[in-house]
Amino acid sequence: MRFRLLFFTALSLLATLASWVASAAPAATPTAAPATVRIGVLAYRGPDEAVASWGELPDRLSAAIPGRRFVMQAYGGQELREAVRKGELDFVLANSSLYVDLAAQFGIQRIATVMLPEALSSERAIGSAILTLASRDDLTRLTDLRGMRIAVGAPDAFGGYLVAAREFQRVGVDLEVGDARLLFTGFPMRLAVEAVRTGQADAAIVRTCLLEQLSATGLLKSEEFKVVAQRPIAGFPCAASTPLYPDWPFAAARGVDRHLAKSVAMALLSLPPSASGLAWDVPADYQSVNELYRELMLGPYIDLRTSTFRGVLRNYRLFILAALLLFIGIVVHAIRVEYLVKRRTIELRAAQAQARDLQWKTEHMARLSVLGEMSGTLAHELNQPLTTIAAYAQGMERRCAAGKADSTLITETLREIFAQTERAAGVIRRVRNFAGKRAAAREVRPIADTVREAIGLLSTLMPDLPPVVMDDRLPPRTLVEADHLQLQQVLLNLMKNAAEAMRELPRFRRTINVALYRVDGSLTIAVSDHGPQVTAKTLTRFFEPFFTTKFDGLGLGLAICKSIIEAHGGRLQVELRDPPPGLVFHFNLPDKRNAK
Amino acid sequence: MPSNAPTPLVHVIDDDTALLRAVTFLLESASWNVAPYASAEAFLAGWKDQAAPGCLLLDIRMPMMSGLELQRVLTEREIALPVIFMTGHGDVSMAVEAMKLGARDFIEKPFKDQTLLDAVAMAVRCSVARHEEDSVQRALCERLEKLSPRERQVARLLAEGLPNKTIGQRLEISERTVQVHRLHLMDKLEIHSAAELSQMMLRANPSNNS
Repeated sequence: MRFRLLFFTALSLLATLASWVASAAPAATPTAAPATVRIGVLAYRGPDEAVASWGELPDRLSAAIPGRRFVMQAYGGQELREAVRKGELDFVLANSSLYVDLAAQFGIQRIATVMLPEALSSERAIGSAILTLASRDDLTRLTDLRGMRIAVGAPDAFGGYLVAAREFQRVGVDLEVGDARLLFTGFPMRLAVEAVRTGQADAAIVRTCLLEQLSATGLLKSEEFKVVAQRPIAGFPCAASTPLYPDWPFAAARGVDRHLAKSVAMALLSLPPSASGLAWDVPADYQSVNELYRELMLGPYIDLRTSTFRGVLRNYRLFILAALLLFIGIVVHAIRVEYLVKRRTIELRAAQAQARDLQWKTEHMARLSVLGEMSGTLAHELNQPLTTIAAYAQGMERRCAAGKADSTLITETLREIFAQTERAAGVIRRVRNFAGKRAAAREVRPIADTVREAIGLLSTLMPDLPPVVMDDRLPPRTLVEADHLQLQQVLLNLMKNAAEAMRELPRFRRTINVALYRVDGSLTIAVSDHGPQVTAKTLTRFFEPFFTTKFDGLGLGLAICKSIIEAHGGRLQVELRDPPPGLVFHFNLPDKRNAK
Repeated sequence: MPSNAPTPLVHVIDDDTALLRAVTFLLESASWNVAPYASAEAFLAGWKDQAAPGCLLLDIRMPMMSGLELQRVLTEREIALPVIFMTGHGDVSMAVEAMKLGARDFIEKPFKDQTLLDAVAMAVRCSVARHEEDSVQRALCERLEKLSPRERQVARLLAEGLPNKTIGQRLEISERTVQVHRLHLMDKLEIHSAAELSQMMLRANPSNNS
């Protein structure tokens, strides 16, 4: 890693290395010797420095393994990956994270792991330290850094970013999606520390031991800084904010001769520690790096971002939020539309009902007015033949009395009379045809509704209608199968008669009572008034056609009512009101329906 | 029946020919001379001034010239023939107008023979009186003309000697109403008792006696 390179550059004698580098650079163009073994090395700060820092290694290996010439080439992360993919390399020297990625992708196999003097073991060698100014009392835990500016070398630095990022994520601070503002300072990693010191950043993520090394070389004063969320690690000499992970591995590419790999491994392990204390150890277990990758959904686990809910949620947080808002918007809109539709439907239904109601009333008024017009015409039509008949009959009587009637005259007169009865019968037939035009329409509906409607209708037709008191003693929604329009006609007639009978009474005494009750299983409706007393003899004549007590009455109303009720299998009757005065008209309807 | 010439003539106008024939038949049964016409126009066409006394019996509803129109024409042409209207049910308002225009009487169809004959006899009597310039009779007629149709009905029944109660039942009006009509008609005729009325009616309509 980069800090290590720094370290080396600081401590190594470079003269020989420099000369080697000079020769190694052209070595990038192969020398055609089959004994050449190519090592690719990850470099952050440019190929020169990288190769320089590892400079002595190829020579040492070349010396340790006879007949082989080891050359080293430095690559950036992406270039190194390309080189491995193309099979251009025999061995790879990269940081733990890149190694795990390449191992998963191209099957490179570690054969040794770097061991620094400070490392506890090859598995526990490197972590992250999160630095901030010692004066920042507000920053002690990882969560305190939410929304802060954090300086970082590069997004693929291992100790310098990824290790810390995992710890942040564990406490719910996702650096990748902007829970903190990342400031990429590039390398050397010291620049990140500088950013904190100059106030450009609130904190910096660096690899463990960098602070201690910089302090030792006098580049900064360690008292100026503190480590956020420091965790004590027994035996580890540097401050750390995270657990420790394995250091750089030395890996063999797939297909490398096994004997060569074995020789290299043995050579590495037998190399004495370098001047800086760098030694090689048996290959470490990189499982912890794997887990880190999985949690961060990086490297070999990058597919998790699109295959798991958490990944999708995390990756497309903004889109999901927008989609959710859109969805909520659509739902709200849909609900609103639904509500409006419902409300308008109700309004429309009410309007339709009103229109139907009006139409019904109009029809009724038309029927009543037709009846009114008809009564005049009918009277005239019937009057003519009746008068003619009467005149003939009476004239004949007089002639007979005077002895002036002969059989010819009688025959002629009787013929005239008969012709007139035919004429009268024709009038009646025509009226009946007219009345019979409407087909009887029986329907089942609550009788109380029919009564109420009749009352409502009459009150619109007769503005001076006295108060109508409805006394419904039937169970609620008692149904009746009948031609309810005809029943209403009957009720209209009875109530109209009642109202007219009380015309002479003082206003406060005028009341019409309509009672609905049941007698002996048959349903009865009674309409009573407080009109003038009538003699028992008059009472019996009420239902005779053309009997009337009214000045402008035709005397057909009750006769028609009676025939309507009889057509329904009931009887229309009248009796004196008890207590007097007044009359009670009542009719019954056999209610087969409700009896069952 | 009036005995001295000229013989009174009852003119009947009705567009309903069956009814016209029947009324003619009835009047002839009571020995009246009758002249039937199917329309007002036909009557006017056949009218001659200086004609015999009599009366005019006509239907108030007719398709061409109505009864009321004819009555106006009669007034214009100064034809002094008493007019009796035959009205149907519900023609009351027309009848009232007819009375205002000077109609002598109206009878409602269908009618009892006696009602028709009484009305005709009384009208003819007045016409004859006018013709013969019988001042007493004429004054009597003029007084009787002041009565409303209802009052005339009541007067006829009173003259028969019927009590108020019976009159009420016959006319299907209350006894009290009969009483009111009675007071009014006595007032109009300037008489004070039913007996006087009886006498008066007898004089106005001697045919009733026959």
